[in-house]
Amino acid sequence: MSYKIPMGPFHPGLEEPYKLDMICEGETVCDAELHIGFNFRGIEHLAETRNYFQVIALMERVCGICSNIHTLTLCQAMEQLTGLEPPPRAKYIRVVMAELERLHSHVLWAGIAAKLMGFKTMFMTCFALREKVMDVLQAISGNRVNYAMNCIGGVNRDIEDPIALVPMIDELEREMMRTVIPIFTTSSTARSRCAGIGVLTHEKAISCGVVGPTARASGVPQDLRRDAPYAAYGELEFAVPVEQAGDVRARLFVRALEIIESCHILCHALAKMPRGEISVGGDKFSFVTGTATSRVEAPRGEVMYSVSWKEGSRNPARVHVRTPTFANMPAVRWMVRGARLADTPLIQASIDPCYSCTDR
Amino acid sequence: MIALETIREKLGTVENWVEGRGALWLNPVGLSVREVAGAMNAVGARFVTITAYQLAGNEGFRLEYHWDLDGQLLGVPYVIAGSCIESIFDLCEAADWIEREVHEGFAVDFTGRNYEPLLLRQGDKLGVNLRETGAADKPASDVQGPKEVTK
Repeated sequence: MSYKIPMGPFHPGLEEPYKLDMICEGETVCDAELHIGFNFRGIEHLAETRNYFQVIALMERVCGICSNIHTLTLCQAMEQLTGLEPPPRAKYIRVVMAELERLHSHVLWAGIAAKLMGFKTMFMTCFALREKVMDVLQAISGNRVNYAMNCIGGVNRDIEDPIALVPMIDELEREMMRTVIPIFTTSSTARSRCAGIGVLTHEKAISCGVVGPTARASGVPQDLRRDAPYAAYGELEFAVPVEQAGDVRARLFVRALEIIESCHILCHALAKMPRGEISVGGDKFSFVTGTATSRVEAPRGEVMYSVSWKEGSRNPARVHVRTPTFANMPAVRWMVRGARLADTPLIQASIDPCYSCTDR
Repeated sequence: MIALETIREKLGTVENWVEGRGALWLNPVGLSVREVAGAMNAVGARFVTITAYQLAGNEGFRLEYHWDLDGQLLGVPYVIAGSCIESIFDLCEAADWIEREVHEGFAVDFTGRNYEPLLLRQGDKLGVNLRETGAADKPASDVQGPKEVTK
């Protein structure tokens, strides 16, 4: 006999509100249906009522984790409509901010995943490490969450002594290599909770159009930093980790390897940062009539902005945001099919969902 | 770039890809969105999203369909006079949520599919968030309730 288990929208196993209606037979999930929209704020409509300064501050608040990525993507689209090209130093600072954000997002996710595995010591360890990343972000921007770094034509703040940040990044990498990564990749607890569960096959990953670490853990080798380089990524060398298993463990491995790659990118970018201006913008901008699109590889995957403007207007005519969780979330239905009910909180967390982004 | 030519050949179009602000655009003269979706599937392009714009006055909508082909963003714009266009959901599973979002945000009807609520709730007015409506144009339908999940 089958029965329905509703999980959410407010549930101890979920960090943010959404609802998963699961049809179970015994302890096995046969099918599921997802419901989102509990955080809906109408941000795309609000954006049409804000001028070109205000809209950057507004879109920074689409997400509390990857706030910098949203302003980066928006500013890149607005730069296409204003014809402005950020100076080289600004592009490097954008890379540094993006990779620091990826680091703290991945470490935060590792902590949440550890908690859902019943591994609460690791949760505390991850959050202590994340604090070190947040310290670096605060040292650069003065803020811990909404950094207000990006502006049209560059960045708002310089990194005055980039080399001074390298030891902090080195220490972080050492700590990740010494504690978090070995435990996640070798401990029997992590293996027994993650291996072979929540599998998203390569074919299904392609069919669902999933992005980011979720795609790369199912053998889809896509990463916009390499495939469509933006900011200064075209001048930096890095690897794109890809795993084939498609299970929760593969998603964990991909993020663990990306943490190390991010540390390498950061050290490389800080050492190579050219001197010069950090912005070519002023306090008045002229937009041409038309539409521009911009894409960025956020910690969870591809973010895309489509921005439409009318010449002479201070406000955008339309801002459309396609966030990575919006692309990844439908795949959870296929991941939980056949899974044990007790594994579903960890499976849904394995895509690192962000409902603030998804609902906008 | 061979795949880009393959798309044109499969569609039998004489239009060329045109670069414009972040994407390569193809004018789909005489082509249905389902034909384009089929061609994109054939070359292994990844569906990204649909961006909807309401045209000034009562002139309809512009729907921009986006695919990714090896890191290159492709765009195919459709201008629809009314508020209906064929759904590509059955050809492209990844289009499900964005078709539902555009349906709720602008009251655009993607024909040939059923909807369940995504961001709105049962009883909310379609188009309440993003569609500018005149008195004569007000969409009358409400969001339907979620279907009962059954095995």
